[in-house]
Amino acid sequence: MDKLNVIDPSFLTLSGDQLALLGPYFWMIGAALLAMIVGVIRFLPSKWTVFAVAMVGILGGLFVSANQIGMDRADLFGGMMVADGFSAFFNVLFLGTAALSLCASLKYLDKEKLQYPEYTILLLFSTIGMMLMASALDLITIFIALEIMSLSVYVLVGFRRNDRRSNEAAMKYFILGAAASAILLYGSALLYGSTGTFVITEILARISAKGDLMTPVFHLGAWMVLAGFLFKIASVPFHMWLPDVYEGAPTPITGFMTTGVKAAAFAAFIRVFVAFGYGKDLTSAVEGRLHDVLWVLAVATMFIGNVIALTQTNLKRMLAYSTIAHTGYLLVGMIAAPHAESGFAPVAMYLAVYTVMNLGAFAVLSVLAGRGDTGLNLHDLSGLGKRHPWLAFSLAIFLFSLAGIPPTAGFASKYYLLYSAIQAKEVWLVVLAVLCSAIAVYYYLRVLVYMYMREPQADTPSAKDFTPAAAAFAVAMMVAMTLQIGILPAKMMAITKRVVAKL
Amino acid sequence: MEWFNSHLLTGLTFLPLVWAAVGTLLPEKTVKHWAFAGSIVVFLLSLKLYTGYDPQGAEFQFLESAEWIPGLGVNYSLGMDGISMWLILLTTFLSPLVILSSYQGVEDREKSYYTLLLALQTGMTGAFVAMDTFLFYVFWEAMLIPMYFLIGIWGGKERIYAAMKFFIFTMVGSLLMLVAIFFLAYQHKLQFGNFSTALLDLYKVKLDGAGYFSTQGLLFLAFALAFAIKVPLFPLHTWLPDAHVQAPTAGSVILAGVLLKMGGYGFIRFAFPLFPQAVATYQHTFLILGSIAIVYGAWVAMVQPDMKKLVAYSSVSHMGYVVIGLFALNSIGATGSVYQMLNHGISTPALFLMVGMLYERRHTKEIKEYGGITKVMPLFAVAFMIATLSSVALPGTNGFVGEFLILLGAFKANPGLAVLATTGVIFGAVYMLWMFQRVMFGPLTNPENKKLKDLSLREACVLTPLLVAMIVMGVVPNFFFEKMETSVAKLLERTGKVEMVAQTAIRKDGK
Repeated sequence: MDKLNVIDPSFLTLSGDQLALLGPYFWMIGAALLAMIVGVIRFLPSKWTVFAVAMVGILGGLFVSANQIGMDRADLFGGMMVADGFSAFFNVLFLGTAALSLCASLKYLDKEKLQYPEYTILLLFSTIGMMLMASALDLITIFIALEIMSLSVYVLVGFRRNDRRSNEAAMKYFILGAAASAILLYGSALLYGSTGTFVITEILARISAKGDLMTPVFHLGAWMVLAGFLFKIASVPFHMWLPDVYEGAPTPITGFMTTGVKAAAFAAFIRVFVAFGYGKDLTSAVEGRLHDVLWVLAVATMFIGNVIALTQTNLKRMLAYSTIAHTGYLLVGMIAAPHAESGFAPVAMYLAVYTVMNLGAFAVLSVLAGRGDTGLNLHDLSGLGKRHPWLAFSLAIFLFSLAGIPPTAGFASKYYLLYSAIQAKEVWLVVLAVLCSAIAVYYYLRVLVYMYMREPQADTPSAKDFTPAAAAFAVAMMVAMTLQIGILPAKMMAITKRVVAKL
Repeated sequence: MEWFNSHLLTGLTFLPLVWAAVGTLLPEKTVKHWAFAGSIVVFLLSLKLYTGYDPQGAEFQFLESAEWIPGLGVNYSLGMDGISMWLILLTTFLSPLVILSSYQGVEDREKSYYTLLLALQTGMTGAFVAMDTFLFYVFWEAMLIPMYFLIGIWGGKERIYAAMKFFIFTMVGSLLMLVAIFFLAYQHKLQFGNFSTALLDLYKVKLDGAGYFSTQGLLFLAFALAFAIKVPLFPLHTWLPDAHVQAPTAGSVILAGVLLKMGGYGFIRFAFPLFPQAVATYQHTFLILGSIAIVYGAWVAMVQPDMKKLVAYSSVSHMGYVVIGLFALNSIGATGSVYQMLNHGISTPALFLMVGMLYERRHTKEIKEYGGITKVMPLFAVAFMIATLSSVALPGTNGFVGEFLILLGAFKANPGLAVLATTGVIFGAVYMLWMFQRVMFGPLTNPENKKLKDLSLREACVLTPLLVAMIVMGVVPNFFFEKMETSVAKLLERTGKVEMVAQTAIRKDGK
């Protein structure tokens, strides 16, 4: 009992190096707090000041994180958190997502008459949660980070508070999300009970050293943690919440969720997944059963996501189902990762690329969305190629990329991912994956049909006001990156390979 | 000069795309002239391939290579042999004609139209020169995008259905090929220790090949599916009539002229040398399918009321010859097949162009709407006659040389099927001549046909090169064989048919 009263001093003090490693978090927390203050100063135009403060914080964090990608691993707070290439890589991803979502939101919020500083501040806090998720090495820290992220997003989803669908989405997301968090937390507790530690690398070390620690309690805990994460990444059969939530949320937030929240869940999932000892040949239970369950889930996720997306006529809903399908591809990568030479690099790359292209697509949708998030049905896009040639062109690039057609980033990353699955001798899984992506081609192309091959309908708004500069910038950036990664993917592959090397 | 030669293929591949990109800056109405000029420049440049290619030299020439994705062993490597040289020349030859032929027909969104045509040319040329399977796959798929839009935007009534069907059919086939490419690259890693997707490296990979469902057999099927859809081989041909009928004239021409060749080329360059044992195993399966395609295509063509659909089904029949020639697995058949691909790339585009010209005048492709056209359009009738005869393989035209060699080769491989395939020649004559008779001869009953104008100078310029090519290819085939023979021999050698090649060589010495 004595030991509990004494706190290890190294937990409390941080060396200069460690403080420097925390730079991105300081930028973000500083920006969030400052934004809260400037947001309530009466005589300042809160729209612009909050936006500027948030952008400065995000870009500062982005710059520092980008410099950390090549750095060696360093433990922080006694191993509860870690600063390595992996966390820096994902931090860049999250900060980029936040910056672009904010750009896409600026005009959207005006249109919806929702221009409140809370929106930006919540977005900053949820980004902080994501960043912590990617760098947490401790199940409790992961849980806290997850809650920071999720609570902010729950509110953001319901931000269109006068809209019934938005309210429904927030409620649904909150209740189901809370249940999933509870399962995750309970699973963590069981893992702690069976191994005596919360630190995930330590869990792996202990079960590898002593096989009999893998008691039924350990397995139960692991399965519950797994279920919690599968909910967050929206794998079948935990996907039911996703389409309603994505449809109800404000469009830029939907984009933020499909990319940032999902990537954060995957980042933490990868770290925890490693700790289960999968692919380390510890026991046949983990190796065989976990593999089989994930295999079935991956196939079901790809198939159900793609097939249901076929029948959607609302673009947000369609992209919601497509996001489920992409989770399926990512699960293929997770299954293959421990057995392939490239490790988790394809998953990281796929997440990055998916972020780029999906964020771009949602930025376009944010511009196109009419008041009250209307105007996002397929027939509303009729003749978009003539009305908005550049937006239509950008959306076409993003859709080709989502469908995995060369020479776009979506193809390069899918190639890398499925290639790793072949190395893991999952030939049939790959065959099923490509057949599912053949299904997907249909609904992505159908959007192009409306945009380019149909004439504008009488009831579609003919001449929209011009594209706001911030959103145009966001879209242009994403188009450039989609094509750049698509044509010259070597650099991205090298980076992802380096960041996952020391997981 | 050295530098020029070692970058010629890159130039030929990407010049159209760059040219199109510059073209987007020009005013809408001048883009067609700009595109035409570009395609002429590319054609002239491609002639350098003919003069520079030495059939006695290295197997692949004009090689260039650059590191692209080192982590996966992917290189940007280009090269060509005698077979791909002729196909590239076919592409660059057809391109200006296609652009010229669209001068009047296309008035909507001209800039996008010509940009897509030139982008398509980049994709096609790239697929013919890629020496790396990854690079090939990129071009192969990227090519679909412009074609999809060409059919979907400028096509006929059912264009959206046709474009979708075209895209999805091709995509399904090629995705399985992608899996096979992964698998091969991984086998290379297991056997040689490094990842590589270079074609010449993959040729060396040893795979178990006994039986229909061995490793080789399955991989072969994955590749063959992609190529058979593209050819298109019976029973995977159903996308073709839809795509052809709905596509604008230029789309049909490119589709028939070059895209279908991609399938045959894929068999030659990839499926055959990579999986020699599987090819031998599946030889008769494909001979049977090819023969069915020939006869079935001809029969279906016979009863078509729509001219374009008739020509489309004739493509199914003609490409059936290409398949049986290849799967005869002897040098006569293979040479004939390559030649037939060129023939079909000349005569079918000519027919499509002429149907398009009639359509521009009358806005219908129904055969029964015409009749007695000879009287009002004599020049057109002559041109149509030559193209028809080339299509039915009259001696003296290009079609004869190709089909004769193919049937000769097929007879060696399987006499029964060769006899069946030969009946296709007869049916071919029936449907083509019958159409010619119904459209061109007879009384000029339809009053609307009475004031049809004969070929304009522009249209004559489009057709003349094709008609000349038909005769030249029929009269001096050796001019073409010279540069492709060694490549065909090399192909068969890779396919494990050394003895056949030796026989041909001996016979040649004896002459």
